[in-house]
Amino acid sequence: MGKVEFPEVKYHIQMKKGDVGRYVFLPGDPGRTDHIAKLFDNSKLVASNREYRTFTGTLLGEKVSVTSTGIGGPSTAIAVEELIAIGADTFIRVGTSGGMQPEQIPGELAICLAAIRDEGTSMAYLPPEFPAVADITVTQALKQAAINLNVPYRVGITQSKDSFYGQHEPERMPVADHLLQRWKAWKMGGAICSEMEAATLFILGNIYRKRTGGIMLVAANQESDDPNVGVVEELDDLMAVSIEALKILIKLDKKTE
Amino acid sequence: MAVRKTKQGAQHHIHLHTGDVGRYVLLPGDPGRCEMMAEYFDEPKFIVQNREYVTYTGKLLGQKVAVTSTGIGCPSTAIAVEELIAIGADTFIRVGTSGGIQPGTKVGEVAIVTGAIRDEGTSLHYMPIEFPAVADIDVVQALKEGAIRAKVPYRLGITQSKDSFYGEVEPDRMPMADHLKNRWKAWVDGGAVCSEMESSVLFIISSIHRKRAGGVMLMAGSVDTQPQTEEEFAEFHKLFDVHRAISTAIEGLKILIENDLK
Repeated sequence: MGKVEFPEVKYHIQMKKGDVGRYVFLPGDPGRTDHIAKLFDNSKLVASNREYRTFTGTLLGEKVSVTSTGIGGPSTAIAVEELIAIGADTFIRVGTSGGMQPEQIPGELAICLAAIRDEGTSMAYLPPEFPAVADITVTQALKQAAINLNVPYRVGITQSKDSFYGQHEPERMPVADHLLQRWKAWKMGGAICSEMEAATLFILGNIYRKRTGGIMLVAANQESDDPNVGVVEELDDLMAVSIEALKILIKLDKKTE
Repeated sequence: MAVRKTKQGAQHHIHLHTGDVGRYVLLPGDPGRCEMMAEYFDEPKFIVQNREYVTYTGKLLGQKVAVTSTGIGCPSTAIAVEELIAIGADTFIRVGTSGGIQPGTKVGEVAIVTGAIRDEGTSLHYMPIEFPAVADIDVVQALKEGAIRAKVPYRLGITQSKDSFYGEVEPDRMPMADHLKNRWKAWVDGGAVCSEMESSVLFIISSIHRKRAGGVMLMAGSVDTQPQTEEEFAEFHKLFDVHRAISTAIEGLKILIENDLK
């Protein structure tokens, strides 16, 4: 196998050292990078290639960035590998999700302590017995931020899946029984949300000794015991709590440096 | 099928009744360590022993606390935790000894466990393998502050919960040697901090029952820091002192109780 030489500019994210700070927000949707960047000081579009779109700015005088990962573990792993290679060391996944416990109300936030590895990408890195766990300091900062801004939240486990429609319309899948049985197990285990990227991010964070965390808006809840439960697509609380959490982390880092 | 109880109505294996323990329970593996842990309690009292399950209770900050041994391994631990939950316990701190995984780990450091590698069979009877065995964040945070209060050097991280002790310490003589060594390398690369035999099933059962669990493990150093000379062995035995893990757990438990009382 020939060794492929990659240029200084990373192949997929189209960025090099210096283009991002050590702190990076990771939304799935490239369209949401603008929304987050508006909350930075001095934000500037740095690169946009495929589903990877990056803005860099500052918070409390520290360089911070937002890079979209696209949907799923495969594109997320590429983004995180390349961001680490150009110097990022603290990642907060910011996204939307579905609730999994009957009492969850759309609009509340799910802070991800760990992830169910219901996906294929992280298996290329570590056997499935290894837990996908977020960094405790990042998780604690996200929790503190939700408390500071008085936004309802819960801390728990997310299901990181590969198949969106396998979750939403399991009955029409050839492996319907398998999907339904596993979903029941995740619910009984207390999982609080379902999304598609956190497990890969947490596993890479463990391997490279980088800090990771995740915060998800619970946009809908198919498991709600309220039949009239609505859908919340308003992202302002999610964004405000994420920014507040990063400020908490930056202050902590400045204290320990 | 109904859960069997003893003739006196106690839980089948741990021989305890509802009301015997409070909500807070320390879980050592070794029954021989229960008494020394109970000495940290106010009003320590021996309650019962059956098989490898020994229980003492007492008080901390005026609240009822207990220590129950689990025996070695996840099978006996699962039984202890199921039965303790059935009689009202809701907060568990595993306190034990372990081997350090990361190079440079010094004997006497404690590991505060954030999650566990499910390298065992018991938790698979409860949950598919992809589900993470993760500790409760409030317990982890309390143990971290507990280590600082107890002035014990600590590392936060993931533990390997294995079924085979000798498969870990003497993999070369096992029929599955290559498999065991490949996986061990993956755990090292993944950043796991210690290796022991009970945490993963405690965390999985606690998630299912919505109970709080965490763990603090005294570490015996890593492969590269093992003692070589007589002086180093003497120093090793001085530092490999389980009271470091116990005092961290006791301080952490007090912090949890303080927060719960608020």
